[in-house]
Amino acid sequence: MAEEPMIRLHNLKKSFGKLEVLKGINLEVARSEVLVLIGPSGSGKSTLLRCVNNLESPTGGEVTVDGERINRTDLSARAFQKHINRVRTHMGMVFQHFNLFPHKTVLENLLEAPTQVLGRNRKEVMADALELLDKVGLKEKRDSYPVQLSGGQQQRVAIARALAMKPSVMLFDEVTSALDPELVGEVLRVMEGLAVEGMTMIVVTHEMGFAERVANRVVFMAEGLIVEEGVPKEIFSNPREERTKLFLADVLK
Amino acid sequence: MLDWSIITHYFPFLAKAAIITLEISVISLVLGLAFGLVSALFVLSTNPLLYWPARFYVWIVRSTPLLVQLFIIYFGLPQFGIDLNPFWAGVLGLALNTGAYNAETIRGGILAVAKGQGEAARSLGMSKALTMRRIILPQAMRLIIPPLGNNFIILIKDTSLVSTITLVELTLTAQRLIGSTYKPFEMYLMAAVLYAIMTTCAALLLRQVERRTTWGHA
Repeated sequence: MAEEPMIRLHNLKKSFGKLEVLKGINLEVARSEVLVLIGPSGSGKSTLLRCVNNLESPTGGEVTVDGERINRTDLSARAFQKHINRVRTHMGMVFQHFNLFPHKTVLENLLEAPTQVLGRNRKEVMADALELLDKVGLKEKRDSYPVQLSGGQQQRVAIARALAMKPSVMLFDEVTSALDPELVGEVLRVMEGLAVEGMTMIVVTHEMGFAERVANRVVFMAEGLIVEEGVPKEIFSNPREERTKLFLADVLK
Repeated sequence: MLDWSIITHYFPFLAKAAIITLEISVISLVLGLAFGLVSALFVLSTNPLLYWPARFYVWIVRSTPLLVQLFIIYFGLPQFGIDLNPFWAGVLGLALNTGAYNAETIRGGILAVAKGQGEAARSLGMSKALTMRRIILPQAMRLIIPPLGNNFIILIKDTSLVSTITLVELTLTAQRLIGSTYKPFEMYLMAAVLYAIMTTCAALLLRQVERRTTWGHA
């Protein structure tokens, strides 16, 4: 019997007012799988990602992570908040614009959630945090403020901040789109390292090279639906759908 | 010509009265900050039982003169058995007044913090309250401090209005001394100088607070 998937989306729908952005997505992500989501802007890939940790609440369907239903409808507003705060501690998210806390140093950014949310001992977390900063190559920046770092450095800190919660899933939302081209590589290398370590990842990106190298599976979305999915080689060299071909021709040109 | 003997003789009396003014200002400032913060959070709440009362409070205060508000509290409320002495009537009126302006300032500051900040905090499992306290408010503070300082300075000057409800602070003391000396220019000049000293010190103090929230910015 196949192992229970880490993430399962069943008939996921999301509308903003009259605009239906996700029109029924079915998708499973296995443990330690790296899934890359590609597609034109407005195709709903970021919205899909944000539905996984309920930053957007789905208007229909089911989101299940690690066997636990995320978008529960059986709870009071208050109980739902408690539930969602708890499940989010297992999911890290990295954003296009980094969103580091500007009033806190690099180290404090990493310590914030583990100490404030999980109530973990500061000293203990400190050791973990320094190890993570070392891993992303920024240990010497521990006492800097975000504004003193380059975009690439900020994004690596943001990854470390998410990892400080020891998540079992990592969600990456166009994390290199706001970076100068020469800074993209350092961020992708950190993500590649994570993939090698076996982190379950959903990555929304326009970096086709990264997708080809690192993804176990590539999903192409358009207009709120999954058009095509497969291993990177298949999608990039031999796409079946006309829309996939057109999109790839545009981005790989 | 200025009568310097009047100035040197009466300055200590006025300086002492200025201390009362300072007391009223500081107490009203602290209460006004609390009123402002609570109202700002209420106005930003989705709960109508918090939103509407806070909106009403801000509206009524901002659309009526402070002088009338003070008269209602000091002369009007005793009719309903609420008989405050001039000091506390004055403090209450000033705190409610400045609180409404602070509420608008604080609300604006909170809304100006980048949306991604709240999302990042929530994505880490932080609750709404924790996110507000640890992430949003500290950043809003940086934006709020300059306009809040403006409100403080207006508050210090507005304390002169409580002279009309018989609280013997700086302005009323000057008026009374004019009654016995017939030297209005000297007395009001001294009062003006003392107000200027207080507001300038407040402004300098606020600049120091502002400097502490640079977070690595030059």
